[in-house]
Amino acid sequence: MDINVLAFLVPAGITACFLPLSDASSFVILYIVTSVYFSGVMVRLMLVLAPAACILSGIALSEAFDVFTGSIKFQLPGISRNSQIDVRDTSSAGVVTQDDGVKTDKNEESLKERPSKKNKKKERENAEKALIKPPLEKRLLVLPLEASVISLLLLVLLGAFYVVHCVWAAAEAYSAPSIVLTSHTNNGLHVFDDFREAYAWLSHNTEVDDKVASWWDYGYQTTAMANRTVIVDNNTWNNTHIATVGTAMSSPEKAAWEIFHSLDVKYVLVVFGGLVGYPSDDINKFLWMVRIGGGVFPHIKEPDYLRDGQYRIDSQATPTMLNCLMYKLCYYRFVETDGQGFDRVRKTEIGKKHFKLTHFEEVFTTHHWMVRLYKLKPPKNRIRGKTKKSKTKASSTTGSKGSGKRNPWQ
Amino acid sequence: MFVQPKREKEIKPSQERQQRNTSLQQLGPKNILPLGYKCPRWPIFSPYSFSLKTPRSTLEQSRRDSRVRQTGERRDDDAMEAPQSSLRSALVFSFIAIAYLSLLVRSATLSSPELQILNAERRIDLTSHIIRVYLTLKVENTGAAPASEIFLAFPPAQVDHLAIVKAAATFGKKKKKSYLPLDVNPTDLPDAPNGAKCFSISLVSPLKTGESVTLEVLYILSHSLEPFPIEISQSESQLVYYHDSAIILSPYHIKHQTTFIKTSSPKVESFTRVEPSDRVGTELKYGPYEDRHSYSFSPIIVHFENNNPFAVVEELVREVEISHWGSLQVTERYKLVHAGARHKGVFSRLEYQHRPQFSGVSSFKHLLATLPPKVHSVYYRDEIGNISSSHLRTNSKKSELEIEPRYPLFGGWKATFVIGYGLPLQDFLFESPDGRRYLNFSFGCPLAETVVDKLTIKVVLPEGSKNPSAVVPFAVDQRIETSFSYLDVVGRTVVVLEKENVVPEHNSPFQVYYNFNPIFMVAEPLMLASVFFFFFIACVTYLHMDISIRK
Repeated sequence: MDINVLAFLVPAGITACFLPLSDASSFVILYIVTSVYFSGVMVRLMLVLAPAACILSGIALSEAFDVFTGSIKFQLPGISRNSQIDVRDTSSAGVVTQDDGVKTDKNEESLKERPSKKNKKKERENAEKALIKPPLEKRLLVLPLEASVISLLLLVLLGAFYVVHCVWAAAEAYSAPSIVLTSHTNNGLHVFDDFREAYAWLSHNTEVDDKVASWWDYGYQTTAMANRTVIVDNNTWNNTHIATVGTAMSSPEKAAWEIFHSLDVKYVLVVFGGLVGYPSDDINKFLWMVRIGGGVFPHIKEPDYLRDGQYRIDSQATPTMLNCLMYKLCYYRFVETDGQGFDRVRKTEIGKKHFKLTHFEEVFTTHHWMVRLYKLKPPKNRIRGKTKKSKTKASSTTGSKGSGKRNPWQ
Repeated sequence: MFVQPKREKEIKPSQERQQRNTSLQQLGPKNILPLGYKCPRWPIFSPYSFSLKTPRSTLEQSRRDSRVRQTGERRDDDAMEAPQSSLRSALVFSFIAIAYLSLLVRSATLSSPELQILNAERRIDLTSHIIRVYLTLKVENTGAAPASEIFLAFPPAQVDHLAIVKAAATFGKKKKKSYLPLDVNPTDLPDAPNGAKCFSISLVSPLKTGESVTLEVLYILSHSLEPFPIEISQSESQLVYYHDSAIILSPYHIKHQTTFIKTSSPKVESFTRVEPSDRVGTELKYGPYEDRHSYSFSPIIVHFENNNPFAVVEELVREVEISHWGSLQVTERYKLVHAGARHKGVFSRLEYQHRPQFSGVSSFKHLLATLPPKVHSVYYRDEIGNISSSHLRTNSKKSELEIEPRYPLFGGWKATFVIGYGLPLQDFLFESPDGRRYLNFSFGCPLAETVVDKLTIKVVLPEGSKNPSAVVPFAVDQRIETSFSYLDVVGRTVVVLEKENVVPEHNSPFQVYYNFNPIFMVAEPLMLASVFFFFFIACVTYLHMDISIRK
């Protein structure tokens, strides 16, 4: 999640890699620079930044340890000293962030590093140094004994706190199974088991052949836990197929019913976090449904859903947004929970509060309203006021609705 | 010349046959008994049976049911006519008939003791979906021979759903009542009309002539409340039909009887009126009726509201594993279903959470399981993982596990789950006087007020057990299987007991006896120890052996 103390150890490590520059250290420098760029684009790519940051911080810390332990050993009685003693301010020995000007300080750093070679501590450093030309002068950086002892202790403490932070981050942030959510209330631990509740309901109370349509994130979970056929799942590479589902979610109710009916879908599953404040719900993912759907079907235009370049669901939302299936299925009767329809994730009141569903009916909503299941209503037998045109299509259901309109999916 | 009863309304065929049977019984003083006529088992040629006068029964139409249900109508007014002139000849003939009857008797059992029920009181409890009927009978022996058995009859529709029949004889008056439980076994009475099934209660001491005994019978029916309407929406309440007879079906003549029906709520849509009948709040009273024939039947329907949870476990498999190292591990697999009126249409979580009094009144969310006191390591999970909505409360007498399925159960909805727990062995395993060990455990389902359609109990005995046998207080299907578990060589014997239609009254202890030689307990540790031992010996030997040729 965050790299904590590594944020200022990495630049120190970069500096250390330049003195001297070998094949291995130049590789590490290139690695860190490219991974920093990519994690800036998409934060999930911090995964590739992590090893590079750890390596560089390790280099920086070991250099600092070298200096301090060298100073201590040098100043212990009984060790003969030779050549100059350069006493510098210790605050820049790798603890303070040095962000730029690395190359201009290269000579200074090389002067700092070379004296420690006199003690012949690390073989790794010797091997590194052996690649470049042998140093002409080796000056030992010797810091005052008390200062170096305290600094050593502080560095050890820094490492300890970092370990504590890492264990906490792993427990809290990386161990969440993301299907069972928990929150700490004053009564203890509150468990949100809505996903499994919905999947268990699906597996026991629907027919074996019923198909469930949802966004592709829940495909594998539905297949594994609910044991039902899905339309798109995590492994679908057919972009048009995903775009079909995305278009259906972005279309008004009638058009969406047509699409789902042509796919033989019985149930539609949406994830809604507005009642409890769960941020990764389908309304937040809605922009991808519009973009992917619009990429394949030109009648879905992203600007139709945007107000001032933003996706909104409050009273300033566009009419296309307020009429699309995703909005309706998520917020159906949501206003009756608290009277105003305040969405805890988007932090506003919803735009369209009172509406009815004409082509779908609600069959199940979980305890915290996180998963909502809807069933496609069967078409009416008789449509009032419409003259029946003779249909040559075999299925009368798709023919009874949308007569005269060409169905783009057939 | 038979007396034809006047028929005003159409009568069902079963009623018709009953009509014919009863009209056969009307061979009275003015009719001649044909020779060669085979008498029915129960003597009904007593002079008393001819003076019956059954009142007319009327029907109250229910609002939703437009079918007309009939009750048989009998009018025996004509039987009263006995011409004065032939009275003497009628008496002579009746004596001949009785003598003929006694000649026909062959075996002692056929020399049927004539029993008569002086007073019958029936209380039907319809508050839950498991129907409990309490019958108090005062039976008198009016015949010549002592009676050692008393028979109970049930209509064929009820026999399929009969879960348990218990009987006890009572002694003493109000405060000093004592009960003596009696054995009840199903029997076959060949002359029972229209497929009525019979049960026989064996008396401890035969009932002598002229004596009477008071019996209390309890029988339990499951799946006998029929939801009507069959499908309801979330905001409707559940109404059910109960089919029974206003007159107690019995192989004996009943002099005086009353039936009380207790419903679960004061809302009774309709009930069949068989005069005299009355309704006060939740209690319906049918009776008192005087002097009814044997096997008389008057069907009634009660249509009332019952919102009690109709929790039915379709299949329950309980596995009890005995480990002589000190623990008993129980694993129970449930398939639960809501057996009431099916849910149709929308399920709105909003309505369910915000208006619980009007929405989903017939659904249920909580189930209570009663477990033995010192229970540990309780888990509650289903196929997709642990279910966190459960509470366990323990005290010294019992433990209560309150579980909530993942979603509330509406009509027709199913849920499956597994409950497992461990128990200390010393509370359940004992040694019998003849040296065999036996496990004393409770049969039945720990969930309260649930019917189990098919219950299977498997007792897994440790390896090396011999001669397993089970002693169960009621009829079960038994068989032996073998299962293999950790470190098993020959397999463990499993005693499998199966029973259908189990109600909470079946929660009584049963025993499984087996022989076990204690030496088998060390078999598994010895096996492990010897495997490691030989492996190490082999390694040591191999390392110290020098099999090279050159010196």
